Amino acid sequence: MHVDEDVVAYLSGALAPAERARVAAHLDGCDACRRAVEESRVVLAALAPGRPAAPPVDWGRYQAELRAKVAGRPRGWWTRPWPALAAAALATVVLLLTLQTSDRRPTDLATLDETVLGARLPLLQQYRVVERLDLLEDLDVIGQLDRIGTR
Amino acid sequence: MNQEISDEMLCRRVAERDEAAFDLLVARYQGRAYRLAWSMLRDAEDARDLSQEAFLRVYRTAGSFRGDARFSTWFYRVLVNLCLDHRRRGWWRRQMVRDAIGDDPERGVLERQAAPVVDPTDTLSQERLMTQLWGAVDRLSPQQRAALLLHVQEEQSTSEIAAVLQCSEATVRVHLHRAVSALRKTIGQG
Repeated sequence: MHVDEDVVAYLSGALAPAERARVAAHLDGCDACRRAVEESRVVLAALAPGRPAAPPVDWGRYQAELRAKVAGRPRGWWTRPWPALAAAALATVVLLLTLQTSDRRPTDLATLDETVLGARLPLLQQYRVVERLDLLEDLDVIGQLDRIGTR
Repeated sequence: MNQEISDEMLCRRVAERDEAAFDLLVARYQGRAYRLAWSMLRDAEDARDLSQEAFLRVYRTAGSFRGDARFSTWFYRVLVNLCLDHRRRGWWRRQMVRDAIGDDPERGVLERQAAPVVDPTDTLSQERLMTQLWGAVDRLSPQQRAALLLHVQEEQSTSEIAAVLQCSEATVRVHLHRAVSALRKTIGQG
């Protein structure tokens, strides 16, 4: 089994003695892993000096900002949640408006339902169960439905 | 205040609201914190904000630092998690940008081509190598990048990196292996 996953630890000297010995023994007989070790060494050595310098920071200002945040006055803190607060406020207004207008809807809907029902009445009269809807309010009747024969 | 006081002792004093101790901890870690955040995020303002946020969390939760690990490990864990969360939040935005760039077949082809092998002894080649390498680091997954930066820049051990990333040492080795393998391919090796 190759030792790819141990290469970085091997190069940094982080392996326990027994592990290091195991890896070293494997490398003696494996060209592929030996090549991986050498190539990894090149990569890590190239990265070792670190990334090109980060943009400079005014540490005095950095520390002053941090102190303000610690004291509960973060830089621009009141602007940060603004978009979320604005969205929440807008959603609340929309919801309230919707609820207010919805109070008038039942009457409108009832009128609509009655119209539709009236147009369908002749159709409903063709069903015997609809003729005796009042029976369905009686639970005893419901319980005996399977015994009611059809005529 | 005495510079020989350990980070762990300073942290305990921060928990007792010792402002001077906090200022000293900040002075000790501000450079490393900013550099690590910048390496992960590649944005100076985000790096400044998130490194300050990490210090703010240290100030607020210093009492929870039990001292069973090094202060640096705890601090880096806070900072790295902030950076990873920040990147996750911006992931969809970057995907859109990446998709737009990917619409350019020429650019896509160029990006997919392996870089030619460079001679490390050649100065120009060395500069090109560095540019390619760090560009490749930016394309690693967040976890792989974090593990690699902690190893290379902050010289953290595998066990320390595992504590920062809150994963097993075996997982850290996998992250480092995959990161280095990807970088080897970038410079025309492996």
